[in-house]
Amino acid sequence: MYIIVEDDPSVADALESLLSGAGLPVRVFASAEEFIHSASPAPDDTMIVDLGLPGMSGGELVRHLEKAGATPKVIAISGTSSRTIARETEGLADVKILRKPPAADWLEAITA
Amino acid sequence: MGELEDRRTAVSEARFESLLDTAADGVIVIDETGRMLVFNKICEQLFGYTSQEAIGQNVSLIMPPEFSVSHDRFMNNYHRTGERRIIGIGREVSGMHRDGTVFPLELSVGEAKTADGRQYIGVLRDLRSRRAVEQRVSQLQAQVVHMTRLSAMDEMGAAMAHELNQPLTALLLYLQAVARQVRACHADAKPPSDKMLDVLDKAVLEAERASHIVQRMRQMVEKRDPERATVDLREVVNEALDLSEFVAQGATVTIRRVFGMTPIQVDADATQIQQILLNLLRNAREVAKESEERWVKVSIGSDDRSAFVSVTDSGPGFSEDVGKSLFRTFSTTKKSGMGLGLAISRAIAQNHGGDLMADPGGNGQGATFTLMLPMHHSDEAEEDTWG
Repeated sequence: MYIIVEDDPSVADALESLLSGAGLPVRVFASAEEFIHSASPAPDDTMIVDLGLPGMSGGELVRHLEKAGATPKVIAISGTSSRTIARETEGLADVKILRKPPAADWLEAITA
Repeated sequence: MGELEDRRTAVSEARFESLLDTAADGVIVIDETGRMLVFNKICEQLFGYTSQEAIGQNVSLIMPPEFSVSHDRFMNNYHRTGERRIIGIGREVSGMHRDGTVFPLELSVGEAKTADGRQYIGVLRDLRSRRAVEQRVSQLQAQVVHMTRLSAMDEMGAAMAHELNQPLTALLLYLQAVARQVRACHADAKPPSDKMLDVLDKAVLEAERASHIVQRMRQMVEKRDPERATVDLREVVNEALDLSEFVAQGATVTIRRVFGMTPIQVDADATQIQQILLNLLRNAREVAKESEERWVKVSIGSDDRSAFVSVTDSGPGFSEDVGKSLFRTFSTTKKSGMGLGLAISRAIAQNHGGDLMADPGGNGQGATFTLMLPMHHSDEAEEDTWG
Protein backbone atom coordinates (compact mmCIF):
# COMPACT_ATOMS: atom_id res chain seq x y z
CA MET A 1 0.00 0.00 0.00
CA TYR A 2 1.17 3.50 -0.84
CA ILE A 3 0.09 6.07 1.76
CA ILE A 4 0.17 9.74 0.78
CA VAL A 5 0.03 12.37 3.53
CA GLU A 6 -0.14 15.76 1.79
CA ASP A 7 -2.24 18.81 2.61
CA ASP A 8 -2.24 20.37 -0.86
CA PRO A 9 -5.20 18.66 -2.61
CA SER A 10 -3.78 19.11 -6.12
CA VAL A 11 -0.41 17.66 -5.25
CA ALA A 12 -2.10 14.78 -3.42
CA ASP A 13 -4.43 14.12 -6.36
CA ALA A 14 -1.63 14.29 -8.91
CA LEU A 15 0.48 11.91 -6.89
CA GLU A 16 -2.46 9.57 -6.59
CA SER A 17 -3.02 9.72 -10.37
CA LEU A 18 0.59 8.85 -10.98
CA LEU A 19 0.65 5.88 -8.59
CA SER A 20 -2.82 4.48 -9.26
CA GLY A 21 -2.30 4.97 -13.00
CA ALA A 22 0.56 2.51 -12.64
CA GLY A 23 -1.81 0.10 -10.95
CA LEU A 24 -0.52 0.64 -7.41
CA PRO A 25 -2.85 0.67 -4.36
CA VAL A 26 -3.03 4.19 -2.87
CA ARG A 27 -4.61 5.91 0.13
CA VAL A 28 -4.54 9.68 0.62
CA PHE A 29 -4.63 11.64 3.89
CA ALA A 30 -4.69 15.43 4.20
CA SER A 31 -2.92 15.62 7.56
CA ALA A 32 -0.75 13.64 9.94
CA GLU A 33 -3.56 13.65 12.51
CA GLU A 34 -6.07 12.26 10.03
CA PHE A 35 -3.69 9.44 9.18
CA ILE A 36 -2.89 8.55 12.81
CA HIS A 37 -6.58 8.41 13.71
CA SER A 38 -7.60 6.15 10.89
CA ALA A 39 -4.72 3.86 9.98
CA SER A 40 -1.50 2.27 11.07
CA PRO A 41 1.10 1.35 8.51
CA ALA A 42 2.33 -2.15 7.78
CA PRO A 43 6.08 -2.78 7.40
CA ASP A 44 5.77 -3.29 3.65
CA ASP A 45 3.85 -0.03 3.10
CA THR A 46 5.46 3.00 1.53
CA MET A 47 4.57 6.36 3.07
CA ILE A 48 4.94 9.55 1.07
CA VAL A 49 4.88 12.38 3.61
CA ASP A 50 4.95 16.11 2.98
CA LEU A 51 7.36 17.58 5.52
CA GLY A 52 5.51 20.90 5.66
CA LEU A 53 2.14 19.64 6.90
CA PRO A 54 0.08 22.06 8.97
CA GLY A 55 -0.46 20.87 12.54
CA MET A 56 1.74 17.86 13.18
CA SER A 57 4.59 18.19 10.69
CA GLY A 58 5.79 15.42 8.39
CA GLY A 59 8.99 15.06 10.41
CA GLU A 60 7.02 14.65 13.64
CA LEU A 61 4.77 12.08 12.00
CA VAL A 62 7.75 9.97 10.94
CA ARG A 63 9.25 10.26 14.42
CA HIS A 64 5.91 9.26 15.92
CA LEU A 65 5.79 6.16 13.71
CA GLU A 66 9.37 5.20 14.58
CA LYS A 67 8.54 5.45 18.28
CA ALA A 68 5.44 3.33 17.80
CA GLY A 69 7.66 0.67 16.25
CA ALA A 70 6.10 0.92 12.82
CA THR A 71 8.77 0.79 10.14
CA PRO A 72 7.25 1.49 6.73
CA LYS A 73 9.46 2.79 3.98
CA VAL A 74 9.29 6.60 4.20
CA ILE A 75 9.68 9.10 1.41
CA ALA A 76 9.60 12.74 2.45
CA ILE A 77 8.54 15.41 -0.02
CA SER A 78 9.29 19.06 0.51
CA GLY A 79 9.40 22.38 -1.30
CA THR A 80 11.68 24.14 1.16
CA SER A 81 15.42 24.74 1.14
CA SER A 82 17.86 21.91 1.70
CA ARG A 83 18.86 23.46 5.00
CA THR A 84 15.28 23.45 6.24
CA ILE A 85 14.87 19.87 5.07
CA ALA A 86 18.04 18.83 6.89
CA ARG A 87 16.71 20.42 10.07
CA GLU A 88 13.29 18.81 9.73
CA THR A 89 14.63 15.34 9.08
CA GLU A 90 17.40 15.45 11.68
CA GLY A 91 17.72 12.20 13.57
CA LEU A 92 15.42 10.31 11.24
CA ALA A 93 16.81 7.02 9.99
CA ASP A 94 16.80 6.31 6.30
CA VAL A 95 14.41 8.87 4.83
CA LYS A 96 14.44 9.41 1.11
CA ILE A 97 13.81 13.03 0.12
CA LEU A 98 11.99 14.18 -2.98
CA ARG A 99 12.01 17.91 -3.61
CA LYS A 100 9.17 19.94 -5.09
CA PRO A 101 8.86 20.64 -7.90
CA PRO A 102 9.95 17.25 -9.30
CA ALA A 103 13.17 17.23 -11.28
CA ALA A 104 12.79 13.57 -12.31
CA ASP A 105 10.17 10.85 -12.60
CA TRP A 106 8.66 10.44 -9.16
CA LEU A 107 7.07 7.05 -9.82
CA GLU A 108 10.49 5.57 -10.41
CA ALA A 109 11.85 7.35 -7.37
CA ILE A 110 9.01 6.16 -5.16
CA THR A 111 8.93 2.55 -6.31
CA ALA A 112 12.70 2.16 -6.54
CA MET B 1 59.35 99.67 1.67
CA GLY B 2 61.32 100.60 4.78
CA GLU B 3 63.05 98.20 7.13
CA LEU B 4 60.58 98.91 9.94
CA GLU B 5 57.66 98.21 7.71
CA ASP B 6 59.24 94.97 6.56
CA ARG B 7 59.53 93.90 10.18
CA ARG B 8 55.95 94.85 10.91
CA THR B 9 54.80 92.85 7.94
CA ALA B 10 56.86 89.90 9.12
CA VAL B 11 55.36 90.11 12.62
CA SER B 12 51.82 90.37 11.36
CA GLU B 13 52.44 87.48 8.99
CA ALA B 14 53.74 85.38 11.85
CA ARG B 15 50.64 86.26 13.89
CA PHE B 16 48.45 85.45 10.95
CA GLU B 17 50.16 82.05 10.53
CA SER B 18 49.78 81.14 14.19
CA LEU B 19 46.15 82.26 14.09
CA LEU B 20 45.59 80.04 11.07
CA ASP B 21 47.21 77.09 12.73
CA THR B 22 45.18 77.38 15.92
CA ALA B 23 41.93 77.72 13.97
CA ALA B 24 39.56 74.80 14.42
CA ASP B 25 38.58 74.94 10.77
CA GLY B 26 40.54 74.40 7.63
CA VAL B 27 41.56 77.64 5.98
CA ILE B 28 42.70 77.99 2.40
CA VAL B 29 43.48 81.14 0.46
CA ILE B 30 43.64 80.99 -3.32
CA ASP B 31 44.43 83.58 -5.94
CA GLU B 32 42.47 84.37 -9.09
CA THR B 33 43.99 81.43 -10.94
CA GLY B 34 43.03 78.95 -8.23
CA ARG B 35 46.60 78.63 -6.90
CA MET B 36 46.74 77.96 -3.15
CA LEU B 37 48.56 80.62 -1.14
CA VAL B 38 47.63 79.47 2.37
CA PHE B 39 46.99 75.93 3.58
CA ASN B 40 46.71 75.66 7.36
CA LYS B 41 47.36 72.79 9.82
CA ILE B 42 43.76 71.58 9.84
CA CYS B 43 43.89 71.36 6.06
CA GLU B 44 47.00 69.22 6.33
CA GLN B 45 45.01 66.80 8.48
CA LEU B 46 41.92 67.00 6.31
CA PHE B 47 43.64 66.40 3.01
CA GLY B 48 46.90 64.64 3.84
CA TYR B 49 49.20 67.18 2.14
CA THR B 50 51.73 69.34 3.98
CA SER B 51 51.37 73.08 3.45
CA GLN B 52 54.67 73.07 1.51
CA GLU B 53 53.24 70.48 -0.85
CA ALA B 54 49.93 72.25 -1.26
CA ILE B 55 50.97 75.88 -1.55
CA GLY B 56 51.49 76.89 -5.14
CA GLN B 57 49.31 74.08 -6.48
CA ASN B 58 45.86 74.50 -7.94
CA VAL B 59 43.06 74.03 -5.41
CA SER B 60 41.68 71.26 -7.60
CA LEU B 61 44.29 69.10 -5.85
CA ILE B 62 41.87 68.62 -2.96
CA MET B 63 38.70 68.14 -4.97
CA PRO B 64 37.28 64.96 -6.47
CA PRO B 65 38.32 64.86 -10.15
CA GLU B 66 34.82 65.42 -11.46
CA PHE B 67 34.75 68.88 -9.83
CA SER B 68 38.33 69.89 -10.19
CA VAL B 69 37.86 69.94 -13.95
CA SER B 70 35.04 72.43 -13.76
CA HIS B 71 36.33 74.55 -10.91
CA ASP B 72 38.62 76.65 -13.10
CA ARG B 73 35.79 77.18 -15.53
CA PHE B 74 33.52 78.44 -12.79
CA MET B 75 36.14 80.79 -11.42
CA ASN B 76 36.58 82.25 -14.89
CA ASN B 77 32.85 82.52 -15.20
CA TYR B 78 32.71 84.47 -11.95
CA HIS B 79 35.44 86.81 -13.03
CA ARG B 80 33.66 87.46 -16.28
CA THR B 81 30.09 87.81 -15.06
CA GLY B 82 30.50 88.62 -11.35
CA GLU B 83 27.68 86.17 -10.69
CA ARG B 84 28.11 84.70 -7.23
CA ARG B 85 27.49 81.05 -6.76
CA ILE B 86 29.19 80.46 -3.47
CA ILE B 87 30.94 83.60 -2.23
CA GLY B 88 29.33 84.84 0.93
CA ILE B 89 26.92 81.93 0.92
CA GLY B 90 28.67 78.76 1.96
CA ARG B 91 27.47 75.30 1.17
CA GLU B 92 28.19 71.62 1.44
CA VAL B 93 30.80 70.38 -1.00
CA SER B 94 33.01 67.31 -1.42
CA GLY B 95 36.71 67.27 -0.70
CA MET B 96 39.21 64.60 -1.59
CA HIS B 97 41.99 63.35 0.69
CA ARG B 98 45.37 62.46 -0.77
CA ASP B 99 44.41 58.78 -0.45
CA GLY B 100 41.37 59.29 -2.67
CA THR B 101 38.74 59.34 0.07
CA VAL B 102 35.94 61.72 -0.83
CA PHE B 103 34.22 63.36 2.12
CA PRO B 104 31.65 66.07 2.81
CA LEU B 105 32.78 69.55 3.76
CA GLU B 106 31.04 72.73 4.68
CA LEU B 107 32.69 75.51 2.71
CA SER B 108 32.34 79.28 3.26
CA VAL B 109 34.11 81.56 0.87
CA GLY B 110 35.09 85.17 1.31
CA GLU B 111 36.67 87.46 -1.23
CA ALA B 112 39.48 89.97 -0.69
CA LYS B 113 40.72 92.51 -3.20
CA THR B 114 44.47 92.83 -2.71
CA ALA B 115 47.22 94.62 -4.51
CA ASP B 116 48.07 91.26 -6.10
CA GLY B 117 44.57 90.84 -7.44
CA ARG B 118 41.53 89.11 -6.06
CA GLN B 119 42.02 86.40 -3.47
CA TYR B 120 39.51 84.00 -2.03
CA ILE B 121 39.49 82.71 1.51
CA GLY B 122 37.85 79.38 2.07
CA VAL B 123 36.92 78.12 5.53
CA LEU B 124 36.35 74.37 5.55
CA ARG B 125 34.65 72.22 8.14
CA ASP B 126 34.73 68.44 8.01
CA LEU B 127 31.14 67.25 8.05
CA ARG B 128 31.86 63.59 8.63
CA SER B 129 31.31 63.59 12.38
CA ARG B 130 28.14 65.63 12.06
CA ARG B 131 27.08 63.39 9.24
CA ALA B 132 27.68 60.39 11.47
CA VAL B 133 25.36 61.70 14.16
CA GLU B 134 22.71 62.64 11.64
CA GLN B 135 23.07 59.23 10.12
CA ARG B 136 22.56 57.45 13.39
CA VAL B 137 19.39 59.40 14.04
CA SER B 138 18.01 58.83 10.59
CA GLN B 139 19.01 55.20 10.77
CA LEU B 140 17.01 54.71 13.91
CA GLN B 141 14.04 56.52 12.45
CA ALA B 142 14.27 54.55 9.29
CA GLN B 143 14.86 51.24 10.97
CA VAL B 144 11.28 50.12 11.20
CA VAL B 145 10.30 51.37 7.76
CA HIS B 146 13.36 49.87 6.27
CA MET B 147 13.07 46.45 7.82
CA THR B 148 9.56 46.27 6.50
CA ARG B 149 10.72 47.18 3.01
CA LEU B 150 13.52 44.69 2.89
CA SER B 151 11.62 41.83 4.35
CA ALA B 152 8.65 42.59 2.12
CA MET B 153 10.81 41.79 -0.87
CA ASP B 154 12.31 38.74 0.79
CA GLU B 155 8.99 37.45 1.95
CA MET B 156 7.49 38.04 -1.44
CA GLY B 157 10.24 35.94 -2.98
CA ALA B 158 9.88 33.15 -0.46
CA ALA B 159 6.08 33.20 -0.64
CA MET B 160 6.16 33.06 -4.41
CA ALA B 161 8.59 30.19 -4.47
CA HIS B 162 6.43 28.32 -2.01
CA GLU B 163 3.18 29.07 -3.79
CA LEU B 164 4.51 28.19 -7.22
CA ASN B 165 5.99 24.98 -5.92
CA GLN B 166 2.63 23.33 -5.30
CA PRO B 167 0.98 23.86 -8.70
CA LEU B 168 4.25 23.06 -10.47
CA THR B 169 4.61 19.85 -8.52
CA ALA B 170 1.04 18.83 -9.28
CA LEU B 171 1.40 19.83 -12.94
CA LEU B 172 4.56 17.79 -13.43
CA LEU B 173 3.11 14.76 -11.64
CA TYR B 174 -0.05 14.87 -13.79
CA LEU B 175 2.10 15.06 -16.89
CA GLN B 176 4.28 12.17 -15.70
CA ALA B 177 1.13 10.15 -15.01
CA VAL B 178 -0.42 10.81 -18.40
CA ALA B 179 2.84 10.23 -20.24
CA ARG B 180 3.10 6.80 -18.62
CA GLN B 181 -0.47 5.95 -19.51
CA VAL B 182 -0.04 7.05 -23.12
CA ARG B 183 3.08 4.93 -23.39
CA ALA B 184 1.25 1.95 -21.86
CA CYS B 185 -1.68 2.34 -24.28
CA HIS B 186 0.73 2.61 -27.16
CA ALA B 187 2.46 -0.59 -26.11
CA ASP B 188 -0.88 -2.41 -25.92
CA ALA B 189 -2.06 -0.78 -29.19
CA LYS B 190 -5.08 0.66 -27.37
CA PRO B 191 -6.56 4.15 -27.97
CA PRO B 192 -6.00 6.74 -25.25
CA SER B 193 -8.74 6.70 -22.59
CA ASP B 194 -10.94 9.50 -21.28
CA LYS B 195 -9.10 9.15 -17.99
CA MET B 196 -6.02 10.56 -19.62
CA LEU B 197 -7.99 13.56 -20.84
CA ASP B 198 -9.18 14.12 -17.27
CA VAL B 199 -5.62 14.11 -16.04
CA LEU B 200 -4.61 16.51 -18.79
CA ASP B 201 -7.47 18.86 -17.86
CA LYS B 202 -6.24 18.84 -14.28
CA ALA B 203 -2.72 19.56 -15.49
CA VAL B 204 -4.03 22.59 -17.37
CA LEU B 205 -5.76 23.81 -14.21
CA GLU B 206 -2.51 23.58 -12.28
CA ALA B 207 -0.63 25.48 -14.97
CA GLU B 208 -3.30 28.19 -14.72
CA ARG B 209 -2.93 28.26 -10.95
CA ALA B 210 0.78 28.87 -11.39
CA SER B 211 0.25 31.61 -13.92
CA HIS B 212 -2.28 33.33 -11.65
CA ILE B 213 0.38 33.56 -9.00
CA VAL B 214 2.76 35.14 -11.47
CA GLN B 215 0.08 37.57 -12.62
CA ARG B 216 -0.61 38.55 -9.05
CA MET B 217 3.04 39.32 -8.54
CA ARG B 218 3.11 41.39 -11.69
CA GLN B 219 0.13 43.37 -10.47
CA MET B 220 1.80 44.04 -7.17
CA VAL B 221 4.72 45.56 -9.02
CA GLU B 222 3.00 47.24 -11.94
CA LYS B 223 -0.49 48.16 -10.94
CA ARG B 224 0.37 50.08 -7.85
CA ASP B 225 0.33 53.76 -8.74
CA PRO B 226 3.81 54.90 -7.93
CA GLU B 227 4.02 58.01 -5.80
CA ARG B 228 6.06 60.03 -8.25
CA ALA B 229 7.85 63.14 -7.19
CA THR B 230 10.81 65.08 -8.49
CA VAL B 231 13.68 64.01 -6.27
CA ASP B 232 17.43 64.42 -6.18
CA LEU B 233 18.76 60.99 -7.03
CA ARG B 234 21.81 61.61 -4.82
CA GLU B 235 19.59 61.99 -1.77
CA VAL B 236 17.61 58.89 -2.64
CA VAL B 237 20.84 56.92 -3.04
CA ASN B 238 22.36 58.38 0.11
CA GLU B 239 19.36 57.33 2.12
CA ALA B 240 19.43 53.85 0.64
CA LEU B 241 23.13 53.62 1.53
CA ASP B 242 22.42 54.69 5.10
CA LEU B 243 19.67 52.12 5.35
CA SER B 244 21.84 49.43 3.87
CA GLU B 245 24.64 50.41 6.25
CA PHE B 246 22.27 50.02 9.12
CA VAL B 247 21.21 46.54 8.10
CA ALA B 248 24.78 45.44 7.46
CA GLN B 249 25.95 46.72 10.83
CA GLY B 250 29.33 45.31 11.70
CA ALA B 251 30.00 44.31 8.13
CA THR B 252 33.52 44.88 6.91
CA VAL B 253 32.70 45.96 3.39
CA THR B 254 33.78 49.51 2.48
CA ILE B 255 31.27 51.61 0.59
CA ARG B 256 32.78 54.07 -1.88
CA ARG B 257 30.48 56.86 -2.91
CA VAL B 258 31.29 58.56 -6.19
CA PHE B 259 28.76 61.37 -6.37
CA GLY B 260 28.73 64.63 -8.24
CA MET B 261 27.97 68.04 -6.76
CA THR B 262 25.08 68.68 -9.08
CA PRO B 263 21.62 67.58 -8.03
CA ILE B 264 20.31 64.94 -10.37
CA GLN B 265 16.58 65.39 -10.62
CA VAL B 266 14.47 62.42 -11.56
CA ASP B 267 10.75 61.81 -11.39
CA ALA B 268 10.44 58.69 -9.32
CA ASP B 269 8.86 56.91 -6.42
CA ALA B 270 11.74 57.21 -3.95
CA THR B 271 10.61 54.19 -1.94
CA GLN B 272 10.52 51.93 -4.97
CA ILE B 273 13.89 53.16 -6.19
CA GLN B 274 15.32 52.49 -2.76
CA GLN B 275 13.91 48.98 -2.86
CA ILE B 276 15.89 48.39 -6.03
CA LEU B 277 19.04 49.92 -4.56
CA LEU B 278 18.77 48.02 -1.30
CA ASN B 279 18.44 44.82 -3.24
CA LEU B 280 21.50 45.65 -5.38
CA LEU B 281 23.51 46.76 -2.35
CA ARG B 282 22.68 43.64 -0.42
CA ASN B 283 23.77 41.45 -3.32
CA ALA B 284 26.93 43.49 -3.87
CA ARG B 285 27.85 43.37 -0.19
CA GLU B 286 27.40 39.62 -0.14
CA VAL B 287 29.71 39.20 -3.10
CA ALA B 288 32.23 41.77 -1.83
CA LYS B 289 32.34 40.09 1.57
CA GLU B 290 33.88 37.01 -0.03
CA SER B 291 36.41 38.99 -2.05
CA GLU B 292 39.87 40.11 -1.08
CA GLU B 293 39.35 43.85 -1.34
CA ARG B 294 35.88 44.01 0.18
CA TRP B 295 34.44 47.16 -1.31
CA VAL B 296 31.30 48.24 -3.04
CA LYS B 297 31.38 51.33 -5.23
CA VAL B 298 28.23 53.35 -5.75
CA SER B 299 28.43 56.00 -8.44
CA ILE B 300 25.88 58.40 -9.78
CA GLY B 301 26.04 60.06 -13.14
CA SER B 302 23.85 61.52 -15.81
CA ASP B 303 23.69 62.67 -19.37
CA ASP B 304 21.08 64.84 -21.07
CA ARG B 305 18.37 62.26 -20.97
CA SER B 306 19.16 59.73 -18.29
CA ALA B 307 20.45 59.43 -14.77
CA PHE B 308 22.46 56.40 -13.71
CA VAL B 309 23.26 54.73 -10.44
CA SER B 310 25.90 52.02 -10.70
CA VAL B 311 26.74 49.50 -8.02
CA THR B 312 30.03 47.69 -8.54
CA ASP B 313 31.49 45.10 -6.19
CA SER B 314 35.04 43.90 -5.66
CA GLY B 315 34.02 40.34 -6.46
CA PRO B 316 35.07 38.21 -9.43
CA GLY B 317 32.12 39.11 -11.68
CA PHE B 318 30.02 36.39 -13.24
CA SER B 319 30.05 34.33 -16.40
CA GLU B 320 28.14 35.27 -19.54
CA ASP B 321 25.75 32.37 -19.01
CA VAL B 322 24.84 33.56 -15.56
CA GLY B 323 24.47 37.07 -16.98
CA LYS B 324 21.97 35.89 -19.55
CA SER B 325 19.66 34.23 -17.06
CA LEU B 326 20.18 36.76 -14.30
CA PHE B 327 16.92 38.61 -14.66
CA ARG B 328 14.80 35.56 -15.05
CA THR B 329 12.50 35.09 -12.15
CA PHE B 330 13.95 32.53 -9.76
CA SER B 331 17.30 32.26 -11.41
CA THR B 332 19.84 32.62 -8.68
CA THR B 333 23.44 31.78 -7.96
CA LYS B 334 22.81 32.07 -4.28
CA LYS B 335 20.44 30.89 -1.65
CA SER B 336 18.97 34.34 -1.19
CA GLY B 337 16.66 34.32 -4.20
CA MET B 338 18.55 37.07 -5.96
CA GLY B 339 16.94 36.37 -9.34
CA LEU B 340 13.48 37.22 -8.14
CA GLY B 341 14.70 40.45 -6.59
CA LEU B 342 16.35 41.43 -9.88
CA ALA B 343 13.29 40.55 -11.93
CA ILE B 344 11.09 42.68 -9.68
CA SER B 345 13.69 45.45 -9.62
CA ARG B 346 13.87 45.57 -13.38
CA ALA B 347 10.07 45.67 -13.62
CA ILE B 348 10.03 48.64 -11.23
CA ALA B 349 12.76 50.42 -13.21
CA GLN B 350 10.98 49.87 -16.50
CA ASN B 351 7.75 51.08 -14.95
CA HIS B 352 9.62 54.33 -14.28
CA GLY B 353 10.63 54.54 -17.95
CA GLY B 354 14.12 53.35 -17.06
CA ASP B 355 15.88 50.01 -16.95
CA LEU B 356 18.19 47.85 -14.89
CA MET B 357 21.27 46.51 -16.62
CA ALA B 358 24.04 44.16 -15.61
CA ASP B 359 27.67 44.19 -16.68
CA PRO B 360 29.08 40.81 -15.72
CA GLY B 361 32.65 42.02 -15.24
CA GLY B 362 35.12 39.13 -14.95
CA ASN B 363 38.90 39.10 -15.53
CA GLY B 364 39.49 40.76 -12.19
CA GLN B 365 36.52 43.08 -12.62
CA GLY B 366 33.53 42.87 -10.33
CA ALA B 367 29.98 42.90 -11.62
CA THR B 368 28.24 46.23 -12.13
CA PHE B 369 24.50 46.74 -11.95
CA THR B 370 23.27 50.00 -13.39
CA LEU B 371 19.89 51.49 -12.69
CA MET B 372 18.88 53.96 -15.36
CA LEU B 373 16.11 56.52 -14.87
CA PRO B 374 14.97 59.27 -17.20
CA MET B 375 16.03 62.76 -16.10
CA HIS B 376 13.46 65.23 -14.90
CA HIS B 377 13.10 67.99 -17.47
CA SER B 378 12.61 71.43 -16.08
CA ASP B 379 12.67 74.67 -18.05
CA GLU B 380 16.03 75.83 -16.76
CA ALA B 381 18.83 73.56 -15.82
CA GLU B 382 20.71 74.83 -12.79
CA GLU B 383 24.36 74.34 -12.33
CA ASP B 384 25.64 74.06 -8.83
CA THR B 385 29.34 74.08 -8.10
CA TRP B 386 32.18 75.19 -5.93
CA GLY B 387 33.09 78.32 -7.86
